Amino acid sequence: MKLFTATVVENETIMPATNVLSLRAPESARSAAPGQFLHIHCGESTAPLLRRPMSVYRTERDVIQLMIRDVGEGSAWLVRRQPGEELDCLGPLGHGFRLLPQARNLLMVGGGYGVAPLVGLAERALTRGASVTLAVGAATRAHVFPTDLLPPEIEYLVATDDGSAGHAGYVTDLVPDRLAWAEAVYACGPLAMMSALARIIRAEAPAKPTQVAMEERMGCAMGVCLGCVVETTRGPLRVCTEGPVFDIRNIVWREESAPLGGHRGRSAA
Amino acid sequence: MAVALRKVEASATVDLKVEIGTASKIPLVLRNPVLVASGTFGYGTEYARLIDIQRLGAIVSKGITARPRRGNRGPRIVETPSGMLNAIGLQNIGIHKVIAKMAPFWAEWDVPVVVNIAGDTVDEFAYMAERLEGVPGVAGIELNVSCPNVWEGGRVIGEDAATTSAIVEAVRSRTGLPVLVKLSPQVADICGVARAAEDAGADAISLINTFVGMKIDTRTARPVLSNTTGGLSGPAIRPLAVWLVYLVSQAVAIPVIGMGGIATVEDAVEFIMAGATAIQVGTATFAEPRTALRIVENLPDALLSRACTRLADLVGRAHPTQHPSPIAMGEAR
Repeated sequence: MKLFTATVVENETIMPATNVLSLRAPESARSAAPGQFLHIHCGESTAPLLRRPMSVYRTERDVIQLMIRDVGEGSAWLVRRQPGEELDCLGPLGHGFRLLPQARNLLMVGGGYGVAPLVGLAERALTRGASVTLAVGAATRAHVFPTDLLPPEIEYLVATDDGSAGHAGYVTDLVPDRLAWAEAVYACGPLAMMSALARIIRAEAPAKPTQVAMEERMGCAMGVCLGCVVETTRGPLRVCTEGPVFDIRNIVWREESAPLGGHRGRSAA
Repeated sequence: MAVALRKVEASATVDLKVEIGTASKIPLVLRNPVLVASGTFGYGTEYARLIDIQRLGAIVSKGITARPRRGNRGPRIVETPSGMLNAIGLQNIGIHKVIAKMAPFWAEWDVPVVVNIAGDTVDEFAYMAERLEGVPGVAGIELNVSCPNVWEGGRVIGEDAATTSAIVEAVRSRTGLPVLVKLSPQVADICGVARAAEDAGADAISLINTFVGMKIDTRTARPVLSNTTGGLSGPAIRPLAVWLVYLVSQAVAIPVIGMGGIATVEDAVEFIMAGATAIQVGTATFAEPRTALRIVENLPDALLSRACTRLADLVGRAHPTQHPSPIAMGEAR
């Protein structure tokens, strides 16, 4: 983990409002694990003020790739970067996904652009001889991660909210059928998807090793501001430091924890 | 290379040293006036892996309480225009663990560590000051009488002169360490509170803590922060902070340590001109961990370019008592 300058070598739009940014960063590219992230300074002034945590999508030799969805001030700036431009980066940070030596059959569940770290993870798993099923959920067909960017050895399952591709409904609907086969489960996506997955795992396969990458509003990414904590069975833990990847059984999902009197309303994500 | 050499020469000819608590048993001696603010630098150990923390003027620890605290539920932070709101809720490991687990690291460091303590009552402040007395690695105490996130509706314990005075007196009578008092900007009479702290034996006033604010998610019509309100920090509050440093530094004789949105050496110079004897870098560290070190590196040149060879020459340069003076009117231009 360190501060470094990375040069943009490619910027490609792969889906609506979603780009893959390739950065030349030899040291980080070699050390970064799927599930880890870079904390990137966006813009030229104090707005936006804070760096943006960007999950590592893939690594290839000296290049680290990020999948960036244009959803706000920081990401809008990032998706406009051109080859040759430099980015001020901090990382790789956090604890990534762990591939378990004994697990041969892996189920990966991604929601929205949460698919990003799972692609890099799946590629690594394949080189170790594992079998991978990747299930992704998206709003519509246009938002489904492109098939041609996935290695052909990966079984690919799709769910869309509007039924325009694959299963009409939630990606978690696809999980129960694969649980008996899977020896480990990996997930990244919206909170609602991951808490639904937690319920399924608890009900149907409570001993199944399941790792989830958590997301929370982040400040320093160095473990000092304590802004990005999630509730766990071991108390509040920092997404940037103890996470982003946690054992699904250790997360206390928000809608399940005792109300504390604050405003907890969340629209269905 | 040439630039680096020039900087070395400059720092050799510019006196950046600051002493706080000259009347204390053990004054706080800072090699330079650039501190890192409480809550933005953890216990110091975290950033030690990334930057050379030993070159800082001092580190102010995360706010510590008498017992460990779990803090508020998430979301705890949200970005705002040129700033951020936080409602961490003083999550910390508690004074006993700080003394047992963190102070031994601090004792090995060159950089002094000031422990920021936050109590709900006068007795809690007194208790923590007692515990810290004589602990190797603790160079001073900053009293957080102004955390906006742990009292309902943003009320803070030090909002009046009488309570502040009682806290400072209780701590003063139990410690030989320099005592810094960090005030809330949201009080009716900040000069009155600052003078009360001075009269009760404070060695310095830290200004300012965050402003209470909120952000609403307009899709859900709910506050973004689980705590509803949070403390606003960052460049957004800088002019408010400069003004209060300017006011308070003219109302008290003890040093004022200025903070609020400092991100560059020019920001630091502005606070020093407003009357700050030292400054703290806070939120800017999150965006750029090297911010405080860059200010340390650039301060000698910033002083020399204003014909100052001592930091003290620039402190309060903007005060009306310093105008009109040949130096202020002439060379500063």
